[in-house]
Amino acid sequence: MANYYNIDDILAEEEFVPVVFHKAANGVIIDPSSETNSVEQGAKVELPLWLAQDLYLRQAISISVPACFNQRTRLEIQADAACVDLKSRSPYFYEFGCKIAPLVGDKTIEILLLSAFKIRYKEILTKAYTAAYTTASKFLTLLTKEESNLYEAAQVSMSAFKKWRMGGPRLQRASVLGRKRRSFE
Amino acid sequence: MHGRKAYELVKEFADGEKGHLKIFNNELFERVIEECNEHHNALQSLIRKMQEEGLEVQTARNAEHYGALIHHLSLIRNKRCLMAYVYNRAEIIRELAWKVGLLHELPGEIQEKFSDSEEQYFKDHSKSLKSYMSQLSLDVNVDMVPPKDPYIKVRVLEDLGSGIILSDKSANFARHSMHFLKRTDAEQYIARGLMEELTG
Repeated sequence: MANYYNIDDILAEEEFVPVVFHKAANGVIIDPSSETNSVEQGAKVELPLWLAQDLYLRQAISISVPACFNQRTRLEIQADAACVDLKSRSPYFYEFGCKIAPLVGDKTIEILLLSAFKIRYKEILTKAYTAAYTTASKFLTLLTKEESNLYEAAQVSMSAFKKWRMGGPRLQRASVLGRKRRSFE
Repeated sequence: MHGRKAYELVKEFADGEKGHLKIFNNELFERVIEECNEHHNALQSLIRKMQEEGLEVQTARNAEHYGALIHHLSLIRNKRCLMAYVYNRAEIIRELAWKVGLLHELPGEIQEKFSDSEEQYFKDHSKSLKSYMSQLSLDVNVDMVPPKDPYIKVRVLEDLGSGIILSDKSANFARHSMHFLKRTDAEQYIARGLMEELTG
């Protein structure tokens, strides 16, 4: 339960997955294509992961592989993982894949995620330390949330190192106060 | 659709700059609570329907059961989003109290972003920190690295008035004046952005 309050975990569980209902359900407006407010057996619906997980555990539905792990993405990752726009597939690509893998029973997702992450991680670190601002900003739009956090951490450690090297004021304005606004007098 | 409003609330929080608060979104918060009530009512009516049909509520697995289950899961999800929203905001408030708020008022632009209970939380947290430190008679809020020199040179950035009493002297803090202060005195002013340290 360590992730209960974790914002990223909550947002990652909001991603949609395609499911097929095995049991009917009454009194809920989940299926937009049905006229009554119920879901029939055998209906195909897109549900958010948090709902799908629990219903799967109670054997009411079966989950199929979501669109962001389809064949097209796999081929792109195999070709060159560093240039694939994972953010447009899903900003929580890795977390989502990790949660989905045991539910869908697809062993290849784990291998896919691992290989993509290894290649991209190398790219992230090299770009964080060496790239100028203009080239870096285009690269940043391809990264998932987890990768952006890594990128920022690398930059922060780099600037801390530089500051230690050069020396600088030790006492700083508290960062929680936000950016200083120029006073007009 | 279930849980979308709660998702919006959490997303709004996540989109804000890290470590900074936006104004407490009371409207969205209330809407999510309303949704929870709707789910609760729907849940109860489904259970009543099952009881009318004479089914054992705990074990029957008909369509009403799954409908009730979905409402129950949505309710839990909304609760989680609301709790996470409040919890993460409280974390930022604690940070503010620790870094800035112990003896002084916060700048108005930050103060207006709190909800009423958050304001109270901030005050209580500052108070308990202060009483803890006075019981220890130790200020645990200062810089943890022992400095090479107990005095530092500072420039005052905003007019603080005259006759301010520090630990070893009284000073006149006019804007742009430079002073040679004890590190521990200067720290609280630097943290609030009222002075800056001069190096070199």
